[in-house]
Amino acid sequence: MEQAAPDPERLLQPAPLEPLSHADAGLESVVGEEAKGARDEGPGDGTMTENNFSLKKIEISVSEAEKRTGRNAMNMQETYTAYLIETRSVEHSDGQSVLTDSLWRRYSEFELLRNYLLVYYPHIVVPPLPEKRAEFVWHKLSADNMDPDFVERRRIGLENFLLRVASHPILCRDKIFYLFLTQEGNWKETVNETGFQLKADSRLKALNATFRVKNPDKRFIELKHYSDELQSVISHLLRVRARVADRLYGVYKVHGNYGRVFSEWSAIEKEMGDGLQSAGHHMDVYASSIDDILEDEEHYADQLKEYLFYAEALRAVCRKHELMQYDLEMAAQDLASKKQQCEELATGTVRTFSLKGMTTKLFGQETPEQREARIKMLEEQIKEGEQQLKSKNLEGREFVKNAWADIERFKEQKNHDLKEALISYAVMQISMCKKGIQVWTNAKECFSKM
Amino acid sequence: MSGGPPKALPSTGPQSLRDMPHPLAGSSSEEAVGGDSTPSPDLLTARSFGDKDLILPNGGTPAGTASPASSSSLLNRLQLDDDVDGETRDLFVTVDDPKKHVCTMETYITYRITTKSTRVEFDLPEYSVRRRYQDFDWLRNKLEESQPTHLIPPLPEKFVVKGVVDRFSEEFVETRRKALDKFLKRITDHPVLSFNEHFNVFLTAKDLNAHKKQGMALLTRVGESVKHVAGGYKLRSRPLEFAAIGEYLDMFALKLGTIDRIAQRIIKEEIEYLVELREYGPVYSTWSALEGQLAEPLEGVSACIGSCSTALEELTDDMTEDFLPVLREYILYSDSMKSVLKKRDQVQAEYEAKLEAVALRKEERPKVPADVEKCQDRMECFNADLKADMERWQNSKRQDFRQLLMGMADRNIQYYEKCLMAWESIIPLLQEKQEAK
Repeated sequence: MEQAAPDPERLLQPAPLEPLSHADAGLESVVGEEAKGARDEGPGDGTMTENNFSLKKIEISVSEAEKRTGRNAMNMQETYTAYLIETRSVEHSDGQSVLTDSLWRRYSEFELLRNYLLVYYPHIVVPPLPEKRAEFVWHKLSADNMDPDFVERRRIGLENFLLRVASHPILCRDKIFYLFLTQEGNWKETVNETGFQLKADSRLKALNATFRVKNPDKRFIELKHYSDELQSVISHLLRVRARVADRLYGVYKVHGNYGRVFSEWSAIEKEMGDGLQSAGHHMDVYASSIDDILEDEEHYADQLKEYLFYAEALRAVCRKHELMQYDLEMAAQDLASKKQQCEELATGTVRTFSLKGMTTKLFGQETPEQREARIKMLEEQIKEGEQQLKSKNLEGREFVKNAWADIERFKEQKNHDLKEALISYAVMQISMCKKGIQVWTNAKECFSKM
Repeated sequence: MSGGPPKALPSTGPQSLRDMPHPLAGSSSEEAVGGDSTPSPDLLTARSFGDKDLILPNGGTPAGTASPASSSSLLNRLQLDDDVDGETRDLFVTVDDPKKHVCTMETYITYRITTKSTRVEFDLPEYSVRRRYQDFDWLRNKLEESQPTHLIPPLPEKFVVKGVVDRFSEEFVETRRKALDKFLKRITDHPVLSFNEHFNVFLTAKDLNAHKKQGMALLTRVGESVKHVAGGYKLRSRPLEFAAIGEYLDMFALKLGTIDRIAQRIIKEEIEYLVELREYGPVYSTWSALEGQLAEPLEGVSACIGSCSTALEELTDDMTEDFLPVLREYILYSDSMKSVLKKRDQVQAEYEAKLEAVALRKEERPKVPADVEKCQDRMECFNADLKADMERWQNSKRQDFRQLLMGMADRNIQYYEKCLMAWESIIPLLQEKQEAK
């Protein structure tokens, strides 16, 4: 990708782009301003050079999908689909686009990228991937991953994912993301070398924190509740919609039978024949119109699905907060108990249970020197603990601030996108009604000539 | 086409058939005639006076008045236009006002039958009586008995499966009322049947049961004679035109059966679609409760889907009540028509057998015996009546189906229009916040 000087090792050029499904939206914001000061952790260092911005737009597209066979990690033959990712940079002046990079990736690599982003940007609502396996199918759609329709919809979903990441003010600057788009070979190794898997919080730890945290930020509690509800309601919606689609398909297709029987009947009629025959033709048109209608509706379902999966991303941010908060609470608790111990040792009173106290009771008092040593050690630990607590507190507050900023951004995006989706759904329904009126009016015309 | 006094019906009196003007002027009933020929007005005129032999309650002859005998009014009736001008029509019958009667032994529904007529056969210009289904059934049976050469319109089905259909529900009663009304109107429109004695009694008698008990054996001469046609004669071959009618009716009934099944299937699928819609809409409401800015748009979509559901329900109700029964009626109609065709075959078979017997007898006198002449007369009357009725039937069938299918199209158009309106109305709601942002 050509640019004026920025370090490709650390930065990606700003590339605010609209994800495909939202034609007129436009997160046209210039990346730099929003990213200012919002960087938390990330590969490389935390500094940013905003000076070397070039407001070039890049276009990312997942243009093709190809079936491949190869050998997997266990040296077994497998079939998978590879997707071609093309990156173009667009000159502002003449609008021409130049192909700068093109490489093939498979779904598992997308997953790897996303998992990496989740670890390194826990305060960001990371865009979701399209579903791994087809769910919410209605009878016509295949649940087979190799099915061309599924592959096609996945291709669009993957493109959408990349566009979402590229248009995120913070994520778009990530080096690994940049390499994903530009470095075909060795990328997997590079990601793994970051050691992100080790940095990931264990599931168990996270679960523990969720149950035991005492004082999480109220907003996160509400957000978690909201994301649970959202996930539940969208799942329900998608399931019922699939059933509705199934039934609607049935209604339209049965009308096709009129076409045949009217034709047969017209053969024995004299004056009525022509009218019947031509009306039958319209019934055939009606029956076949449902295929396109439902295909369009799948697009709407995909838009809803994205936000279904986004709910999970929201929950991940909440979990991280809970973990950090729990960590903080534990550290504070630990510090408090050490202070307590120290005080007791100093004053000679024993108020809290400690192992030392126990052993002292059992094995006899310790010498004043021993006690001094212990007090000193504790005091050092306390000092350390206070430092840690301070920095954890700071970290925690930073996290909350940054996370909440991204959550607000996400909310705006969600409201905008879903409203657009609803509008396009209404438009689809209107189009379907108009087609229905047209067909039946034509049929009525034919009947009137009987 | 004459407007003068009608010709007397050729009787099987002393004159030989060969000397009389043949009722089917211009063509012999035994020749294969194209299925399309319009019966001449003379024929129709002659037919309508078949009832002259009846003992009419009011006495007198219906000659010369604005009677159905005049060919122009007959032709008008043949047109079966909805807007027949009142001058040519002189009999109006309506079925309405269903009422439930609860008695110790049974519960049943009666319908009010209103008759308005200037015909001399009616003592009063207007009548209003109440009848129940079994009275209609009685009427139909009597008509079949007394007018066996004619096509009698069908009644809606007698039996309903208890538990599945509520005999006293508004929808069922209304559907039945419409069918009974159609039944009487078809008889009213028929130039022969409308003058039937039993029909008159049905329309006018205060106590129909008394008449039923009297067992009015007022059959037409033709009716009487056809009744006594011996069975068991085998027909050599149906004349082409009647064979064509038979084939047509078979195919017609078959196609109608298919259409009935398709229509039922569509309604079933639509109802299942409706069930899902009724679950679908409210989910948007549930979602709306979670949201802030999106609450109104989501609620709007929910309401929209609700409106569409209601519209769909109306569509399925209409189709069930108005479309399916008419289809079924026509299937019943064609079934009864096929039986009439068979009866005709019997009459022809008897005639041919007797004629053959005469031919084999080798008598010096080549004169055709009286009973053979009787048979021929019977057969020719039957053929004439049947042909005329078929023509009439074809016309009204065309009208009825045009109306039925246009009605179906209309209802679907209305359904889509209602849905369109609902969706169009929420577009501004969905878009408005966009600008406010």
